[in-house]
Amino acid sequence: MSNRYDINDDNALVIDINHLTKNYVTAAGQITVLKDVNLHVRRGEMVAVMGPSGSGKSTLLFVLGLFQPPSTGDYQVAGVDVLSLSRDQQAIFRREMLGFVFQTCDLLENSTVYENLELPLIYAGVPRRERPDRIREALSMVNLDHRVHQPSNRLSGGERQRVSIARALVNEPEFILADEPTGQLDRENSLRVLEYFTKITEEARTAMVVVTHDAMTAEHCTRKCVLTDGYLNG
Amino acid sequence: MAIGKRKKITVAELDRIRRRGAGPMRYYDLVRVSVREVMRKRRRYIGVLASIALGMAGFIVIITMGNDLKKNFNNDLDLLGGATIINVMFEPQNLERQEWFRDRTLEAIARIPGVLDITTVTLKTSAVTTWHDRLFGFNLVGCEANYWKVFSFNAKAGRLFDQRDVDEGARVCVVGADLARQIFGSEDAGIGQTLSIDDNLYTVVGILGGVRAGDRALFVFLPITTAKARVVGISQPYSAYVRCATWDDVSSVSKAVPGVVKANQIDRGLRVNVAWEPLKQVQRIFWWVELFIYSSIVATMILGGFGIWNIMMATVTSRTREIGLKKAMGALDSDILYQFLFEALCVTLSSSVFGVILGRVGIEYMSRMLGSRPPEGLFVFCLLMGLGFAAILGVGAGLYPSIRASRMQVVDAMRYE
Ligand SMILES: Nc1ncnc2c1ncn2[C@@H]1O[C@H](COP(=O)(O)OP(=O)(O)O)[C@@H](O)[C@H]1O
Ligand SMILES: [Mg+2]
Repeated sequence: MSNRYDINDDNALVIDINHLTKNYVTAAGQITVLKDVNLHVRRGEMVAVMGPSGSGKSTLLFVLGLFQPPSTGDYQVAGVDVLSLSRDQQAIFRREMLGFVFQTCDLLENSTVYENLELPLIYAGVPRRERPDRIREALSMVNLDHRVHQPSNRLSGGERQRVSIARALVNEPEFILADEPTGQLDRENSLRVLEYFTKITEEARTAMVVVTHDAMTAEHCTRKCVLTDGYLNG
Repeated sequence: MAIGKRKKITVAELDRIRRRGAGPMRYYDLVRVSVREVMRKRRRYIGVLASIALGMAGFIVIITMGNDLKKNFNNDLDLLGGATIINVMFEPQNLERQEWFRDRTLEAIARIPGVLDITTVTLKTSAVTTWHDRLFGFNLVGCEANYWKVFSFNAKAGRLFDQRDVDEGARVCVVGADLARQIFGSEDAGIGQTLSIDDNLYTVVGILGGVRAGDRALFVFLPITTAKARVVGISQPYSAYVRCATWDDVSSVSKAVPGVVKANQIDRGLRVNVAWEPLKQVQRIFWWVELFIYSSIVATMILGGFGIWNIMMATVTSRTREIGLKKAMGALDSDILYQFLFEALCVTLSSSVFGVILGRVGIEYMSRMLGSRPPEGLFVFCLLMGLGFAAILGVGAGLYPSIRASRMQVVDAMRYE
């Protein structure tokens, strides 16, 4: 299977999900949220996952982010069978290969833009002297390099989201997961964020999965999937 | 361009990264982040910081100054019952069998650990004087210049004779208060008068005063040299008074004395008298005082510990999203654990630094008050113990919340609103 992933191929298959299911056991009994999900995302692709509230979008995103295991199924990232990794291996895999952008633009409180972007580099063990360049480069992708030392709570909503995009980028991930990245932004800022997404996928050839129920966001993606009744179509 | 740079990650590579583990730089970074976090949220830590610092300062002051304090207390409390004075004497025997203290014995006793001072007396129980044709009987004591200090006596009027008077064999005397009143009509009236005792004339230089002077209100005191040279029928120095540094020394000193005496001279008829009852009373009082002080210190520390625990637990809950976020960014469980642990340590260690500074100030103040010098070795010891204790407190109170934070499932953290 892993021979399908070629490091030099600009269109290599990054996310490879086959027959994925996810059950939750609740007091009322077992519910199956994901019944049979298949998802294949290549480099440079930006896939929108849509669906009504409660359809299991977040569940899928958490499985993709290695935050929780699926019940059954097969999940490979860049040729690595990530489900068989240990907890620590998964954490290392996350910081080396994955980037996250969340709806709530979670930045660390009481810290500067620089400190927010430095944290993933600390976890990844990037030497101190390399960090400023990496951080500036990531910020320049979202045109925020002039805000490096700004306290994060003095940024506007749009700027905050752009900082969290830069933070997702700073570790040079193979793919980026975004959960409602424009959910709390106005139209103008949403458009900007989406332009950066497009730029990232085109220039860096990063694979991207965007969970959203916003039609405009979905339009900007290269492909659109809809999650209904536990199946992913499109 | 680095972003989008391709890296091939294999399972072997992941393991290699994991084995490479946490170098010093990573700890440095984690400590830095934790310290920053605490500094920015310092408001919420002020209460805990104050209680640990106060507890620590109290602890340091008590440990460092405890002995000096005890000595001081000793001086004050001792006046009530002479609890730390041991009387060592040879029982009166037939004249030719009577033993008395030799100089080397006295020197040896003075060297016993815990002995502050030793003084010896000679005695004549039936001395008389006449004043304006009236006859007065009294006990005549020949004593050394440190006698007054051993019993914490002072001069009610005039002065007490000193080392120079003793060295010179001066013809001076100190008179007990009641006797002075009987002879001269009042205490002050006696000062400067001349008393005739056994055909020798002595100038009255002072009247004996002090809390325990009542026992000796009918005594006359001469310098021991004068007494030996001039008083017919005065005894040999068969009785000595040993003053211990603190009441904790009394027991050990009183046990050591007989052996020391025996090693230096014949110990026939030796008796060691300790005022056990007052000693026990004083010890009981001080035991309660100590208990009170130590328990308040421990209580402050425990409060501080609970404070840390409480804050850390609340922190872990209120920072659930932050923990999830950091894990999403690839923090290992151990990274989270260390971050929270370092935060707790940062609080306790900085508290203890404040505590040490505060303690140092307290020691300076107190030693100025007591007129003693703070034992530096003990202070350094306290400093190290304080830091060690802070570390234990930080780890003790911070570990469980930190473990909880590190074990948190990312999903739970991310779903948490
Ligand atoms: N931990 C859980 N235990 C039980 N049921 C859950 C759990 N997480 C999510 N669910 C249920 O799974 C379904 C899908 O939830 P979710 O993935 O959040 O959907 P979406 O993000 O599309 O709104 C919902 O019905 C939700 O109640
Ligand atoms: Mg959701």
